[in-house]
Amino acid sequence: MTERIAVLPPVPALLPANLGRIDPVAELRNACRKAITWLVDGGDGAPVVVLADPAHRLHGIEVPLGLRVARSLLGEAGHGARLADAPAPGDRRLLVLANGSGSRSEKAPGHLDPRSFAFDELVEKALAAGDPGALARLDPELGCDLLAAGIEPLRQLGALRPEVETAELLYADDPFGVRYWVATWLSDGAQHA
Amino acid sequence: MTLKLGRRSFADDATLMMAIVNRTPDSFYDKGATWAEDRAFDRVAEVVAQGAEIVDIGGVKAAPGGEVDIAEEQRRVVGFVARVRSAHPQVVISVDTWRAEVAEAVCREGADLLNDSWGSFDPKLAEVAAAHDVSLVCTHTGGLTPRTRPHRVEYADVVADAIRSTVGQAERAVSVGVDPRSILIDPAHDFGKNTWHSLEITRRLGEMTATGWPVLVSLSNKDFVGETLDLPIGERLTGTLAATAVCALAGARVFRVHQVVETRQVVDMVSAIAGRRLPERAIRGLA
Repeated sequence: MTERIAVLPPVPALLPANLGRIDPVAELRNACRKAITWLVDGGDGAPVVVLADPAHRLHGIEVPLGLRVARSLLGEAGHGARLADAPAPGDRRLLVLANGSGSRSEKAPGHLDPRSFAFDELVEKALAAGDPGALARLDPELGCDLLAAGIEPLRQLGALRPEVETAELLYADDPFGVRYWVATWLSDGAQHA
Repeated sequence: MTLKLGRRSFADDATLMMAIVNRTPDSFYDKGATWAEDRAFDRVAEVVAQGAEIVDIGGVKAAPGGEVDIAEEQRRVVGFVARVRSAHPQVVISVDTWRAEVAEAVCREGADLLNDSWGSFDPKLAEVAAAHDVSLVCTHTGGLTPRTRPHRVEYADVVADAIRSTVGQAERAVSVGVDPRSILIDPAHDFGKNTWHSLEITRRLGEMTATGWPVLVSLSNKDFVGETLDLPIGERLTGTLAATAVCALAGARVFRVHQVVETRQVVDMVSAIAGRRLPERAIRGLA
């Protein structure tokens, strides 16, 4: 029975090793910390299950970026985490690492792709409204084209069909041409599709 | 080691800009540009605004020239130190002098550091530093008399001589009561050295930083840069900055400079390359 779900972006700049003298993602980091605090609150140490894209092993990286970001933020909150291939019905705390397209401006990592805006709007509305069905229907190939991350994990979350009591969007912005969201869903249970 | 310069302390990974402020009519680089006291005062305000942590005020040019006696040197610097102290309470005030009488007078006006450019020619300078709890720069000149040029100076090993001399002065300063956290050593490029010597000192600066004493380097627009690149004064900034980068990589802590902004950028860049300083802001490829 999933009680609390948080979605936040797997942004490398959130990792302490990448932090310079000025934090370029300070606002995002604050929102992530809020979401993490809320996620582990009242969980009595229940494991946080992390859904993230697999690692890019091409350069010898073994641990997925999303899991490293999740562990770093959870570690700050004094909490461990485990990575799940798929969420299980008994998981009470779920953390999904995902972001929208990375092609929202000419200076974005993926340059400008006009399809980004409709795609991101769809995801953003679903996150804000607590609409798992819309997440389950996301197009992973389009997401891949647009440099979106964690689309498969978002689809897995959607497939869980949690009954969302309260959905809150703590952060939604694209300061570097990549759409970031920090969202929390409070659910009183989950039904399998 | 934490560096204590008079009233200010600096972390052991901090690099510091010491801006040259001449109260002389004839110094080699600026040729009297700040001879008028108000011009020198404006120069202080300018370099402080540029981020210099230290101003190095000198009343006697290093090269031979017209006699500047104690009274005249005091006339040039003592009142000026008081004026700078009052206007810039945070800046570290260094005074470039070899004379204990001048040192004593400027310390009473709030100087933080005695830049003994002539390598303990007057050993009482260390006692003055101890008495006023100010910092001291211990310099290698190869035994040169103040305001004389090197002529046919030879060393079996210039770096070893510089280390032996500066560390010896530093230890003596500690023995007379100078705070060990307040001592810098300076190999003094071009002082008692030809161009080959200054190049070797630069190349092997790591041996000086390995002593553990914080190292000050004074490279700015000097003749070893000019001879190396065959360039006159006024065209030596690039060469100066190249030497600065090498010294920064070797771990020099204080840079005595004419150009604060350019030197600060070079030192910060090198410190980041060396992994001693974080980049200001990193997001490219990390969004």
